[in-house]
Amino acid sequence: MIRHLFKLIWNKKKAHSLLLVEIWASFLVLFGLTSLIVYNVRNYREPLGFEYQNAWAISLKSNEDTTELAQKIEMILQRVKAYPEVESASRMSNNFPFSQSSRNNGIDYNKKHVLADFYVTDENYAKTMVIPVVEGHWYRSADSVGKYSPVVINRKLKEELFGDEKPVGKIISERFKVTGVVNTFKSKGEFMVDKPALFELVDAKSPWDDLLMIRVKPGTDAVFEAKMVKAITTMVAGWSVEVDHLTDSRKTTHNLTLVPVIIFLIVSGFLLINVALGLFGVLNLSIAKRRGEIGLRRALGATGNGISQQFISEILVLATFALLIGLLFAMQFPLMNVFDIQAGIYLTAIAISVVVIYGIVTLCALFPSRLAARIQPAVALHEE
Amino acid sequence: MINLTNIEKVYRTSSIETLALNNINLNIRKGEFVSIMGPSGCGKSTLLNIMGLLDEPSKGTVELDGQRVSTYHDKELARLRNEKIGFIFQSFHLINDLSVVDNVEIPLLYRSTNGKPRQTYAKEALEKVGLSNRIKHFPKQLSGGQKQRVAIARAIVGKPEIILADEPTGNLDSAMGNEIMNILQGLNDEGATIIMVTHDETMAKRTHRLIRLFDGTQVQ
Repeated sequence: MIRHLFKLIWNKKKAHSLLLVEIWASFLVLFGLTSLIVYNVRNYREPLGFEYQNAWAISLKSNEDTTELAQKIEMILQRVKAYPEVESASRMSNNFPFSQSSRNNGIDYNKKHVLADFYVTDENYAKTMVIPVVEGHWYRSADSVGKYSPVVINRKLKEELFGDEKPVGKIISERFKVTGVVNTFKSKGEFMVDKPALFELVDAKSPWDDLLMIRVKPGTDAVFEAKMVKAITTMVAGWSVEVDHLTDSRKTTHNLTLVPVIIFLIVSGFLLINVALGLFGVLNLSIAKRRGEIGLRRALGATGNGISQQFISEILVLATFALLIGLLFAMQFPLMNVFDIQAGIYLTAIAISVVVIYGIVTLCALFPSRLAARIQPAVALHEE
Repeated sequence: MINLTNIEKVYRTSSIETLALNNINLNIRKGEFVSIMGPSGCGKSTLLNIMGLLDEPSKGTVELDGQRVSTYHDKELARLRNEKIGFIFQSFHLINDLSVVDNVEIPLLYRSTNGKPRQTYAKEALEKVGLSNRIKHFPKQLSGGQKQRVAIARAIVGKPEIILADEPTGNLDSAMGNEIMNILQGLNDEGATIIMVTHDETMAKRTHRLIRLFDGTQVQ
């Protein structure tokens, strides 16, 4: 029967060409959308690697002041740490979690070269951001001896540089010594892909890394924030201070990821609804035009259910033709590693899109095919 | 073979009731070649549809090989139509998007006959009606007579015991009509029971028995 249906569809390929293009285009749009969703969901399921609740980023701008900046930053840090509301405070580069800044550099080890995100932080950063260290230890000032600067790397960088080797104690890029490994660190939020990352100990004498990360006690409110900002501006006249609550920054970062996805989802949703309505209309029309054939098939031995199944099978065969063409395009993405995204994401998206397309065409065919099953053969044959 | 007792068929709409067949009693024996004649609208096709299990009578009983079919479900009726009955229509009812051989194969599809034997049987049936050189053609490439021969091949491919022909020569000229009639007579000689609706007295005279209907009632 399937062969018969294939012949029937193939012989009517001209009449079905628009429908084929419609299903093919829907598949590709759906594939794009599901790839995006699968990519983001997979990222979301990976742990963030730190706690953003009750964490604040304090940006310090010295403006016109150019003297003894490092000492002033250190003084501010000590002052902030002294507040009973502050559980922990540390200094870092301005690419703090959920910020729009980023910094990266190449890391070399044994002829391997990996591009990694760089974060310059002090020895309290792991405590402030609640980052669990899974191997070795978070660097301390005492680790900064000799010509090597102590660094902590994340699991991703460890895998890419060392594979199964133990990384602690190893020298990388001829200037860093690995003291520890953390699991993940997705500074741009849950939707960010887990990328190689490296934490380098801040130089206490450097005036550049002028951002303070603090962890406050739960329930600490804006009254404290105002008091702290006022105290800092009193300490360093002419400096500007800006406080970002990481919970708010996280929302902004999420919106940057989710808004395009939602827009794409809405546009694709409309497209799929149009395709579904189109299919529904075409099938209804097809059944009206093929009443004689339905009557004939009933006369030759088809049951009502058989007729219904035939119409559903026909649209499934048509969808299969369109999907096969669509797969030729979609399979290029995992094969050619487009956008440097894992092949598994594309393959999952292809599988989901195929199932959704089959689901939609089956749903669209159900009602018209039931109508076809109810056609009285004697009446249909007489009409012809 | 086919026994109709007190058959009545009424078509009802919300406001009109039409009596298409009234008190029809008919017994068709195995191997008979019967023609049904009557003016347009007298119920010939309705009677043929009831005999072909395509329609149900409003009253009365239909027996096929001694079995009352009124209690049969759709699936059983479909199986009977497929195995016991072959249909030939005035307007051929060929599927234009399928080749001649694919059209002839259709009854065998509903018996789940495999591809190769299906094609062999279809080719045999086409050879029987003299169309073995047209198997790859499409209905649009055939003349009226050839189309009707394809329809006959389709009707006989499953070797049914009964052939119901609804004005098989109605759309053909007299020469082609005679040719079709010869084929039907040949099938009857081989043992098939044939019931044919016709308007043509000459064709009807070539059958064993003539049934005349008038306003839904059997008059001869």
